[in-house]
Amino acid sequence: MPDQRPVPDPLPDPLSDHGAAGAVVVDGLTWRPYGRAAVVLDGVSFALPPGRRVLLAGASGSGKSTLLRALAGVLESAGAGEASGSVRVDGADPAAAPGSVGLVLQEPGSAVVASSLERDTAFGLENLQTPPEVMRPAVRAALEAVGLTMPTDSSTLALSGGEQQRLALAGALVMHPDVLLLDEPTAMLDDETAQVVRSVVDAVVRERGLTLVVAEHRLGPWVDLVDDLLVLGAGGAVLAFGPVQEVLASHGPSLLAEGVWVPGAPDPVPAHLDVVAGIPAVGMPPAGAATMTAEQVTVVHRTRTLHGTPRTTTAVDAASLEVRAGRTTALVGPSGSGKSSLLGVLAGLVRPTAGTVTAHRDLAPEPTRTDPANWSSAELAAAVAWVPQNATRSFVADTARGELLATSAALGRDIEPLRARADSVLEILGLAGAADTDPRRLSSGEQRRLAVAAALFHAPALVLADEPTVGQDRQTWSVVMGLVDGARRRGAAVAMSTHDPVVIGSADAILALTAAPRGGPQPQAARTLVERVGPLASLAAVLLLLPLPALVHSVRQALAALAVETLWAVVALAAPGPGLRPTGRVRRLVARLAAPALGAVFVGWSSWLLGGHDLTIALVAALRVLALVAPGAIVLPYVDPDALGDQLCRWLRLPARPVVAAGAVLSRFQALTVLWAEISAIRRVRGVADGRGSVARFRQLAATTVALLTGALASATTLAVAMDARGFASVRRRTWLHPAVWRPGDLVALLAGLSVVLTAAAF
Amino acid sequence: MSTTSNRTATGLTTRGRYVLASRPLARWRTIDLVVTAFLGVAFGLAYWAWGIAYAAPSTALSTIFPPLAGITGAPWLMAGVVGGLVVRRPGAALFAETLAAVVSMIPGTKWGVEVLISGLLQGIGAEIGFAILGYAAFGLGAALLAGALSAPLEAVYEWFVYWTDWDLGYKVAYLAILTAAGAVIAGGLGYLLTRGVARTGALDMLPPGQELREHALGA
Repeated sequence: MPDQRPVPDPLPDPLSDHGAAGAVVVDGLTWRPYGRAAVVLDGVSFALPPGRRVLLAGASGSGKSTLLRALAGVLESAGAGEASGSVRVDGADPAAAPGSVGLVLQEPGSAVVASSLERDTAFGLENLQTPPEVMRPAVRAALEAVGLTMPTDSSTLALSGGEQQRLALAGALVMHPDVLLLDEPTAMLDDETAQVVRSVVDAVVRERGLTLVVAEHRLGPWVDLVDDLLVLGAGGAVLAFGPVQEVLASHGPSLLAEGVWVPGAPDPVPAHLDVVAGIPAVGMPPAGAATMTAEQVTVVHRTRTLHGTPRTTTAVDAASLEVRAGRTTALVGPSGSGKSSLLGVLAGLVRPTAGTVTAHRDLAPEPTRTDPANWSSAELAAAVAWVPQNATRSFVADTARGELLATSAALGRDIEPLRARADSVLEILGLAGAADTDPRRLSSGEQRRLAVAAALFHAPALVLADEPTVGQDRQTWSVVMGLVDGARRRGAAVAMSTHDPVVIGSADAILALTAAPRGGPQPQAARTLVERVGPLASLAAVLLLLPLPALVHSVRQALAALAVETLWAVVALAAPGPGLRPTGRVRRLVARLAAPALGAVFVGWSSWLLGGHDLTIALVAALRVLALVAPGAIVLPYVDPDALGDQLCRWLRLPARPVVAAGAVLSRFQALTVLWAEISAIRRVRGVADGRGSVARFRQLAATTVALLTGALASATTLAVAMDARGFASVRRRTWLHPAVWRPGDLVALLAGLSVVLTAAAF
Repeated sequence: MSTTSNRTATGLTTRGRYVLASRPLARWRTIDLVVTAFLGVAFGLAYWAWGIAYAAPSTALSTIFPPLAGITGAPWLMAGVVGGLVVRRPGAALFAETLAAVVSMIPGTKWGVEVLISGLLQGIGAEIGFAILGYAAFGLGAALLAGALSAPLEAVYEWFVYWTDWDLGYKVAYLAILTAAGAVIAGGLGYLLTRGVARTGALDMLPPGQELREHALGA
């Protein structure tokens, strides 16, 4: 045993209080968000004894999520409004006892606050000022309870959707809640993964005797795991509450009519819809012809982590597929099997690493140009409809009507006669009153319907949709599948990635993909010396160089400084000790030095212009800048932002909440770069990304930035709710899982910085 | 225009036509922190992209008159202005601009860690702009002021770090150009950007989103 000291344990033993805590009493709870005329919750009253398991059902928009937030005491985190009535958990306000109620949200990954499993799990305990020696075993136990058995310092970025949901569960369980709230926890997961998450939930809830409230609109899989069913009506009032089978018998038909997936009900059927009528189709191949053909396509993704370590994953491995006109192809397979990437390849948005993609000649802008990856934005848009999994991100216009017309306008079609058609399509979609509403303000089901219709409106010959029915109620399911089927009947080739058995059952062809084997645990490489230096010391060492511009006045001085820096760089990047040699150090160094070198050339050139075309002046100016900025390029990739946050709070006494919030958002840096790529792809396939010249390019950058901001801010509310549910709102002081220690390397780094400055001064 | 404080339908106070952050101003809600951090990180990404795209126009302008490079430097001042306009609390501009600078270094920049100092100086400048107005005005005028004031500290810093060989005339010209461009590009465009994002509903939890609703109710 590494630690023989008795461990203080302020946390209650999860089994000793079995059944004793977790009584929930809701009395007359009413909630109206400011700016809304109607209440979202209307006089909700019910009581749950400890350990009761309840399924919460209701139509989309009936206030299920709002009720869960109220139970967790974080209603105000997601929006200001007027509340009356009360929520009591064991007689107390849940907001006053952070951690007593755990909350898991729908979107996998939306609640991740740190870049490693252990840091993320420990977040709530840190907010409660739990001592580190108590936290460490608690974190390990929580991760074990949800079956996350990889090393606890693994990156949260490498998790699958199901693993992310289990991590969120661990983050709630580690605080030893008496009540567990799950907001559609499996809506975005495939059946197998969802089953794993459900059985983990079932196991921990039974073992710990937790009170459980699950909001879901697919009731079937949960019915056997709960005691009661609580039904919310469209107006936010309780319609029924009682034993699950009884309530299903009495309220099943009305729930079904509201679009809830009631167990035992017949599968929904696609509505008979056609939103492209009246608009001539372009380049539609004859029925049965291969509209798009992929042969032996392989896609290898290189992702850059925050630390700059590139990771490569094989998303698609030598897949072949023909998508035929007037037919539907379903792409099936577990999460991570490359369904989305393959769709991206067919859409000309992802250039395959190997293999070929060939469009039917009727689609191709010229007979010889059949590879969609080489088409312009407008050429691609004319042929392809693309519906991404996240509908919110698919929008390129600021009104619902504009969204329908955007691609037609970009293709240069006459918009005026299409307006009336657009309005009638909005009526078909149930969006009659929303023609001038910003599409991002619509509900999730409305967004989904609009996104599919907007992709199809201009009658493209190839329709590609990524999980178009996931997480939707029966009504939206019916509209979405009706829209896609309408396009197919007009001769379009359709390919969809899906986990939905009804969609798979109605497809003409099925392509099953298998998940590429996940690389096992990477062999531990020896760490470079610079990685063994604390982040604050690394930054301080580089900032010590700031006097260089004032000191360096000759080529000799600049070269001397650069020589010392080179020496230190060799030391910094050495990786002595056992373990594999880290790879790619030199390649990455060269790549990262390219930008500073360019900057130095720019400054040198500018000085040359000014300094009467004197080469020496230019050279000094260039070398001076290089000596100043190059060390940063070497050190920065190795700075661990989480560890930096720790040190900023504890050593520099920066306030904890902003630093922790910045760390939480920084851990999503990679998600934001993915979002950026996704927005660019959407704009390309919708036809609005063309145009050369500075003005067009600046407009592109501006539009992408607005979309990026909007997309990023949309997740801010969810993240704030997730953080407050784990006690972040009331933090004044907090503890940290990891110690902030001063290492010998820190002193060496500072001396290195100093030595460069002294060298420059001495020469 | 009335300058008295009023309670609004959103429960927040307004002064004149602006919805202000909830009091006390220094008490940040989690959503305020998270939104500022998201602004910082998203702008950091855009800053990095601009760091690649700006070279051509900047070189062209420098050929005409080197201090004109201030024009292409101004987009880097925008995060502070937008952070202040959106969150409306003391420190928001500094937080957003500093974080944006940090994030723009991550994929690698021409300027290394010196960008961190720039971010701090630009953020402090924008912060001064909002502070002068008592954190009570967030219209176009406030945006222009914050944008303009983002520039001077940064310009002086650059004199010593990048433009050591310039004579005083060039240096002053650079300061003036960066300040004017900061007002127009960072301030003006930042103001438009904030309004554009508010219209999408993404700022409904924050004063600009509530302001939009107030005006819709009033109309």
